[in-house]
Amino acid sequence: MSNRVCIIGIGVIESDQPIIDLSHKELLFYATRQALDDAGLERKDIGGAITASYDFLEGRSLSNQYTLDSIGGVMKPCDLRLGEDAIYSIFAGYMEVMADPSQVVVLASVQKSSERDPEGLGYQKLIADSMEPVFSRPVCKAVPNPFGLESVLAAMDARVFMERAGLNEEDVASIAVKNMTILDPEGKRSGPDKKAVLKSDLLSWPIRKMTKARETDAACIIILASEKKARRLCNEPVLIRGIGWCSDQSHLASREQGLARETKWAAHQAYNMAGIRCPDKEIDVAEISDWYAHRELMHCEALGFCVLNEIGANIKDGVFEKDGDLPINVSGGLLGRGNAIGTSGLIRVAQIALQIRGEANGYQVPGVKVGLAHSWGGITSATAGVAILSKW
Amino acid sequence: MAKRVAIIGVGMQKFEFRKKETVEEMVFDVTRNALENSHLSKEDIDAVVFGSAVDAFCGIHNSDKVAIDASGGLLKPTMRNSTSGSTAISTPILGYTHVASGMYDLVMVVCFEKMSENESAQAVFSTVYDEAFVRPIGLNVPIQCGLEARAYINRYGITERQMAKVSVKNRGNALSNPYAQLPMKLTVEDVMKSPYLSWPVKLFDTSPVTDGARAVILASEDVARELTDDPVWVKGLGRGADSVWFMGRTNNDLGRLDYAYMAAKQAYDMAGIRDPMSEIDYAEVYDPFTYKEMQHCEALGLCPEGGAGRMIDEGISLKGGALPVNASGGLQGEGNPIGAGMSRLCWCYFQIKGQAGDCQVPKDVNTAVANGWGGMYQYNAVMVIGRD
Repeated sequence: MSNRVCIIGIGVIESDQPIIDLSHKELLFYATRQALDDAGLERKDIGGAITASYDFLEGRSLSNQYTLDSIGGVMKPCDLRLGEDAIYSIFAGYMEVMADPSQVVVLASVQKSSERDPEGLGYQKLIADSMEPVFSRPVCKAVPNPFGLESVLAAMDARVFMERAGLNEEDVASIAVKNMTILDPEGKRSGPDKKAVLKSDLLSWPIRKMTKARETDAACIIILASEKKARRLCNEPVLIRGIGWCSDQSHLASREQGLARETKWAAHQAYNMAGIRCPDKEIDVAEISDWYAHRELMHCEALGFCVLNEIGANIKDGVFEKDGDLPINVSGGLLGRGNAIGTSGLIRVAQIALQIRGEANGYQVPGVKVGLAHSWGGITSATAGVAILSKW
Repeated sequence: MAKRVAIIGVGMQKFEFRKKETVEEMVFDVTRNALENSHLSKEDIDAVVFGSAVDAFCGIHNSDKVAIDASGGLLKPTMRNSTSGSTAISTPILGYTHVASGMYDLVMVVCFEKMSENESAQAVFSTVYDEAFVRPIGLNVPIQCGLEARAYINRYGITERQMAKVSVKNRGNALSNPYAQLPMKLTVEDVMKSPYLSWPVKLFDTSPVTDGARAVILASEDVARELTDDPVWVKGLGRGADSVWFMGRTNNDLGRLDYAYMAAKQAYDMAGIRDPMSEIDYAEVYDPFTYKEMQHCEALGLCPEGGAGRMIDEGISLKGGALPVNASGGLQGEGNPIGAGMSRLCWCYFQIKGQAGDCQVPKDVNTAVANGWGGMYQYNAVMVIGRD
C-alpha cells in the first residue's frame, strides 16, 4: 500500500505520586507541547484531534470535549469518543488518516485517579454501574467485600485461568516481580522480591495488593500523519502496520472466565493486517496489559506468544524477561508504572514507539524492529485493542 | 485515495418518553430493522460503531458495551463515539472512516439514547461544565441557549414570531411521521403564549426528552453496487469545534457559529457543491431549539447569513417549499434523543430514496444535507448524501 500511517510525535507525562499541581487541561497542554516539539510541528499544523476518556471515572459528562482547548483542537475537524480505552484513538486516528492522507491527527488521553480515591468504595460501586443493569448488576451489588467488587471479579477470572494453565501463586508473583523491578541506567536492579509480593495484603485470593496494578495519574499525546507527510517532517517515523480491536460479552454470566477471547480476536485481526504468522518469532518486544499479574500471562497466550501448557516453563526460563527471547513489559507495564485507566493504553503504544526508535532510556531492548502494544479495558468491559508498530 | 461509501439501509424505531425496552432491546430492534431493510444478516457486518452522548442518561458506565451482543457486534471490532448532540452525525462520520480507509466493507452504525432513566436530563447536562469557573453559575441547557438565542436575534434582527413559525412547521410536519413523539397542530399564537424558559426561548421552542435509537448500514462501493441498484452515496462531510469556553469563542460572539460555517464549508468542498441554496434539494437540520434551526440553516448556506427569518416567513423551508427543511418534524416534532438524532440522516436517506411515506416532499430529491450540533455547545458535524 502506498499510503501508510506513521507515529511522528510522542508526549507522555507520568508520575509515581499524585499530580496535585496540574489540572487535566494543564497535563494535556504540557504533553501536547512535548509531542509537537518531538514532531517539529506547531499548533497550526494540527489537522484534527481525537480524545478518549471515561465519563464516570472523571465525574464529568462529555469529559472528552473538556480538554479540546489544550490539545490544539479548536476550530479543527475533531473526532471525540469516550467510553473507550485510549488505544482506540490510535485505531480511529489510523482510519482518519487513511481516509484523508493530508491530515495530521493528535490523539489525546488524560487520567487523574488521584482526584477520586481509587481505593475507595465509590470506585467499586462504579464497577457495578458498568454492568448490564437487569441481570448482572444486582448480583454485583450483592457482593459483600470490604476490598471491593473489582478484586472479587478478577479473582474468579484468575482462578479459572490458573487451573487451566496449571500455575500456582508463585508463578503469578514472579510476573509482578519482573514488572516491578526497576532497572537504573547502570543495570542495577531494585524492587520487591517474590516473598514480599506473596506476603502483601490479600484482596480476594489469589489477587493481592501487589499483583494488582495501582492507579496513577498520567497524560499521553501521540501525533499521527501519513507516510508521505511523515517522511518530510520526521527523521524516524514509526510505522503502524496492524491494528485490531474487539469486545466480548458484557453479561458476566455468559462470558467465559479465564479466557481472553477479545484479545485473541483483536490480535488475529492485527496479525492478518500486518502479515504476521508466527507472533512469537516475528515480534521483538511487547507491551501488554498487566492490570492483574495473571492477566499478563493470559494475554501472552491469547496473543499467540506461547501455548497454554508452556506458560509455566516459559516463566522459569525467563522468556519474557528483558534479556529473554520475547521481552514483555520491559518498561514496567501497569504493575511497575501504575495504571492510569484508559490513558495507559496509549502509553503502551508510546513505549513501543520509543523502543523502535531506540530511545527507551534505561530499558532499551537492542535491535527492535517490530513491536506490539496491547491494552485491555478492564474486568467489566472485556474490550481489547492491539497495535503492531514497526521501523520505517 | 479514500474509497467511496454508500448508505444501504436504515433502521427505525418509534421515539417515546419512558420506553419500556432496555438499551439492549432498543439496539436490537433498530439493528434488526436495518438488516431486514437491506436484506443482510448480522454475520455480514464487519464492524459496529456506536453513538451515544452521555453515559449518565441511562446510568450505565460504557453504555455501548451492554448492547454489543444485541447489535450483532460480538467478537467484532466495535467502537463508541460521543460528542453529545453532534453524535448524531459524527458517529456516521466515524463509520465512514471505517469504510473509506479500506478497513471494512460493511459497517453498522447504531445511535441510541435512553434519556428518561435519570431524574432530570438538565441535572446531567449541568455536569459538562468546568467545575471551577462555569458550574457555580448554575447554567443548564435552556439558560445557555437563551444566551445564545439572544445574541443571535440581536445580531440579525430575528423576531420571536419567526422562531414560533419554525415550531409550528416542525411539530405540524411530525403529524405525518409514524415514529414521532410529539406531533402537534399548533398556531403561532399558541407558541407565543407558551411560558418562557429563558428569554427568548419558550416551552414550545424546545424539543422533548426522548428514548430511542437509529441504525444505518454503510458499505464500500463494490459491496454497495452488488447489494443495490440505487445506492445513496456519502458525498461530503465536515466537522468543526470551537473553544469549550462559551465565553471564549474564537469570534467572541455567541450569535454567529463560526465552527458550523467551517464544518459546512468542508462538507460542501468535498461534495463539490458551490451554491448550496440551489444544489441542495432537501435538508434535515438539527433543531433542539427553534432558533437553532435558523442558525444552522444560515451556517449550512441554505439561506443567506441573517436570512433565516425571511426563509420561514416566505415559506421556503415548508414541506412544499423550494427548499424543505425538517419535513419529518425535526427534533421538535420527532423527539430529541441526543445521540439518536441520527434520525436526521435517516430521513435524508428516505427522502432521496422516495421512501419517506407521508413525509415525502413534493419534489425530486437528489442531494440532501444533515447536520448535528452538540459538544459543549461548540461542535458541529455535517454530512451531505446523494445520488450520483
